[in-house]
Parts: sequence; structure tokens; C-alpha cells
Amino acid sequence: MVIVKRKILSLWERLYLPEVLRGLSITFRKMFEPRVTRQYPEEGLPTDGVTRGQPRLVVKDDGNIACVSCGLCEAACPAYAITIDGQETDRFIEREPERFDIDMLRCILCGFCEEACPKDAIYMSNELELADYTREALAYDMEKLKRPASAMRERMDYVKKINDRW
Amino acid sequence: MSQSEAKDSGARDTAMVTITINGREVEADPSKPLIAACHAEGEEVPHYCYHPGLSPVGSCRICQVGVQQGQMPPRVMAACRTPVAEGMVVDTEAPKAHDARRECLEFLLKNHPLDCPICDKAGECTLQDYSFDEGQGEGRSVEPRRKLDKRKSLGDVIVLDQERCILCSRCVRFFEEVPETPQLCIGERGSHSVVETFMNRPLTGNYQGNLADICPVGALTLKEFRFQARVWNLHKVASTCAGCSRGCAVTTEVLRKHEVKRFRPRHEPAVNGYWMCDTGRFALEAPNREHRLCGGILRGGSGQAQPVDTRTALEVARDMLIVHGEALIVASPFLTVEEGRELLALGKTLGARPVFLSPEPNDLTDDLLHTGDPCPNRRGLSELGFDALPVEEVLETLPSYESALLVGERLIDMLGAKNLATLPTALRVVLLECHYVDSPSIDVAVGIPNHVEREGTWVNVDGHAGRIAIARPTPEGVWMATRTIDTLHELLTMSAPGADAPGSATPGAIPSTPGAEATLG
Repeated sequence: MVIVKRKILSLWERLYLPEVLRGLSITFRKMFEPRVTRQYPEEGLPTDGVTRGQPRLVVKDDGNIACVSCGLCEAACPAYAITIDGQETDRFIEREPERFDIDMLRCILCGFCEEACPKDAIYMSNELELADYTREALAYDMEKLKRPASAMRERMDYVKKINDRW
Repeated sequence: MSQSEAKDSGARDTAMVTITINGREVEADPSKPLIAACHAEGEEVPHYCYHPGLSPVGSCRICQVGVQQGQMPPRVMAACRTPVAEGMVVDTEAPKAHDARRECLEFLLKNHPLDCPICDKAGECTLQDYSFDEGQGEGRSVEPRRKLDKRKSLGDVIVLDQERCILCSRCVRFFEEVPETPQLCIGERGSHSVVETFMNRPLTGNYQGNLADICPVGALTLKEFRFQARVWNLHKVASTCAGCSRGCAVTTEVLRKHEVKRFRPRHEPAVNGYWMCDTGRFALEAPNREHRLCGGILRGGSGQAQPVDTRTALEVARDMLIVHGEALIVASPFLTVEEGRELLALGKTLGARPVFLSPEPNDLTDDLLHTGDPCPNRRGLSELGFDALPVEEVLETLPSYESALLVGERLIDMLGAKNLATLPTALRVVLLECHYVDSPSIDVAVGIPNHVEREGTWVNVDGHAGRIAIARPTPEGVWMATRTIDTLHELLTMSAPGADAPGSATPGAIPSTPGAEATLG
């Protein structure tokens, strides 16, 4: 059993008002300092190359998807979130995905797909929000995953910098 | 196959010799090259140009091992071109052999493009495997790689990627030695060498598909399988080909428990050696056909097809078969021995005549593998006691019976949906099939699994038993064929013929409570 002894207050403390004024002084001082809280939904989170958001597919500057549907991200995915079917194209790189699905509810944002990709085609974007009304809407298909390379540039440069260390 | 048989029989006559492989004394067959002895001993010797079903040429030099013979110092030799000799001491892991293999590999990779992400062979490519084990991370060559045709069509089956080719000449030797119709050659000289057909003619014959299997890299790929699936995603099951009565040992490869993507030959010296024909290899339409019959379908007095569950359908079938005494049992030649035995017992209870459908032989027969007979279990069913009956004869005989029990896959195809529709309405037809055709003459239909979803035994034309195995799950609501036949048999024995079986007064009547889960998918 613990006996808590009541603190014996000094006369200054028992006067009450000085402590109230001290507290208010802090309040007023902070009012004029820069704010540290964020109005989240209206004001987004700051992101940079280190941000490991949801995986997205890179569309190259010539308009073609960079993915060749090699299936390495599918094999590397520990959550079995990725499903790919390939098809033939007439371009120099003969293979492209016919279907590229990522079930965002399965995705654990580990970044293994990005690491496995030999073609720099899938990157963890700076997109963090994930909300919808149905489960089906969160199983993203290729059209929902495509992003221009310019939008992913920051992450691509960061990953390159990290990889160049080895 | 005749050649490999000749080789095998020749091997048995010669005396075995004793050699030492990695410190172990083993018996080796002198008619086979050293590499075969090493592989038989479980030692991994890499090889590209050597194939156990083809003659060795020693063009890739990747199979070099350390060999000591007599008083000579140990030296590095290509294991595929070295005959086995008494007292030979072999070290497959000799440092000098490793160096030699690594150097060969570097030369093979000199002009090999880094195509693995788009190459269909990736995952089952021996060049990839061995590069992973022993290759260097980076090439040292400053010269650019060869630029050649990356998608050269060689006929209807095969595409050649000349850049990927490592000139092992397996494909050239295959056509010379197996179908004995030489069609490929290595053209040009030196670093300009490419595999090509004579006069750029397209490849012909029924054995082209084997090229994609024997090609150690992804140079020769199947048009049918091109970019269809990654090989590590395929679920592989050892099974038997359904194409003809040869019953080649195959591997059934299924993508995502759903679609059969390819059949590949499996080594079976007594049946097919290392090969299979294209007819069997590309017989993917039948196992992948959609709109399967799941559960049962009844056609009552109203004439409308009504889906019910399997058990309800079998009970109605029982009532029909009991009332209409004289029955004919028509089995499909795709039925396994096990299912045939169950069906025969059922026929005995029913007092029915068991026959199996024997379609006309096709003109695909050749000296190598294809028998031209589309019945994979003809011998098994014949030996069980089924009579072989041609399609026309079955259709002629059927109207003289009161009821018919048709069992097995592809019966509708073989009998013809039109012919089925013209059967007399007095004849009661119970159909156990994978698919359903909406025909007024079929009174009860029950879904069964097809040959990639069942297991059992087929007996081939030479009497060799081949197992068929379950490569993917059966559709929902479909029972195993043996269970379906067995249940029908049980229902029949429970109500002996002549007794007042429930429902026997109104044959073909639809029960008031049909199963809810049965669907025609």
C-alpha cells in the first residue's frame, strides 16, 4: 500500500493568482510563436524522397509503361498483393503488362517490389492516403497505378543515390 | 524413341566399368559419356549442348571436369565427349575445372543479351542458373554485343531469338536424330553464326514444340506460350498426355490454380523418352474450356432444364435406370481404369452392356510417338471388359435400348450434339460429362471433373500404366467421377430392380426440393 503525502503548499502558492498568471503568460507567449500542429486533411503531410508511400508504376517520357511484366515484384511481394499478366508488343522491348493489379488492402508498403524491379518501373510514391467505400475499389488496376516519371522523380533519385552506395 | 531404345539395349550388353567420381568408386556404363555417369551419381555438372536424348557434340565446353587416367597427370576434359574408361578418377569440383567452366561461361555470356526480365525461359534457364552460381557480376568485354533478329518466326510453333542463342546445336541435332527430318542448321561462320532453317523455310512436322524444351536458353520459344506466364508461377504436376493412346508422360502446368498453360514431356524411357508431339502439347482447349457443368441438370415433364445438386440428380437417374430395364453403358475413352472398374460393377448390378466409345483414328499417326488413336485408355478399358464401339454404331444401337448411361468427358464432342438431339424421346439418357449441351434427349446430366482434375490410371497402347494426377481443384459442386459412379451404384443396390423404389412411378419427375447450390457454370 502506498501512502501519498499531500504536499504542503507555500504561502505564495496558496495565494493562487500568481500561478494563474504564470500559466497565462505561457499561453500568450506561445500564441505569437510559429504553430507546430497541422490541419491534416486540408494541409497535407510533407513528403520527400525518403517517403515510402503506396507503390505506383512509372510511365516513361515516351508514353509507354516502363514495366515489362517480368513478375519479380510479384515474386518478391510478401503479402501476395501483386498480380501480373504479360502480353507481346511491337516495341523493341517485346513484353508489357496486360494486367497489373495491386490489392492495396493487402499491400504492406514494404518496398520489396521497388527493390526487386530490374527495370525501374515500380516505385514507392509519395501518396499516403488510402480510403474508399468498398474493398473492390481498393484493388487497383494498371490505369489507377500509372504515374508519369516526372511525378516520381524525387523518389527515383533518392533510390538511385542509395543504390549507388553499394 | 527408337534410337534411345537402341542405345538402352546396347548399354545392357556391354560390361560395366569401375570409375571414381569425387572419391567414390562407382559402376559406370561405358556406352554413355562421362557426364551421364556424373549425373547418375548425383554430381552436378553443368551442360548446355549435351542432352541425354541426343548425341553429344561438345560444342559449349561448359561440362569440363578434372579427369585422371593411368599415369597421366589430371587434366580438364569435356565430360560429354569423354567416354568412361576403367580406373578413371574424376573430380567434378577441381579448381582447374571450375576456372575452365567460368571462362567458357564468360564467352557464352559475351553476346548473350541481358533479357532475363522479358525472357520466357527465365526461371528454368540453365545459363541463368549457372551464371548465378559462377558468373561474374559484370562483363569485361568492351565490344558491343551482336545485333541480330530478335523475333524470327520459324513456322507456326516456334519463334527464334538469334541474340539469345548460344549455338549449342541441340535443336539442329534434335531434328536430325529424333524425327529424322533435318530442318535446321547453323549458318554463317565464326561470330556471325546463327541457327536458321534451310532456305528460310518454315519448320514442319509434329515435333517442333520439343525445341522450346531442349533449348537451354530462351532462344527458341513457343508462340503459344510466349509471354503467357512466368514459369515459377506455374504449378507443375506429373501426369499423362490425353492426346492419343501412346500416353506420353507429361508435366501439367497450371497458372493460379485455374488455367492449364502448357504440357511438357517428362522423361519416361518405356513410353516417350524425352519427347512429345505438338498435338498433345497444344491440347489446351479441352481442359481449359469454360461453361463447365457443375452439379446436376434435370429435364422433367415440362422439358425445361433445371439445375439441381449432384445427389438429387443421381437419385432421379437411379429411378430412371431402374424402371427402364435394358440399358447401355457408354464410357468415354478418357475414363480411367479405376472409374471403369466402378462403372463395370454398376453395369453388373444394372444388367447393362458396357461399351466404350471408339472414335475413328486420325491421320496424325507417325513412327515416333503419335498412334493416331484418340483414345488414351483404350487398352485399359478393353482389358476391363468394355467393348469398343465406333461412334456410328453407338448411335445406331442406342435407340434399341430403353435407357443409356453415358459416362466420361468429351462424349458430347465425340457423339455430336446434333446426333444426341435426334435420339428418340423414349430413350432415357443419363449423362455424366464435364460440359452440358441443352438437348431434349438428355434427361439427367451430372458434372464430373476433366482429366486435369482427376486422378487414376490410363493404360497405353503398349500396356504401360500412366498415372493422371490432379493439377487443379475441381469446380465447385463437382464430385470426383469415382464418387459419382459409386454413389449411383449404391443408390441402385439400395433399391433392388423390380422393387417399388420411391419415385419409380414417375420416372424423370423433378423432386419438389431441388438443391439450391447447383449451377450451370
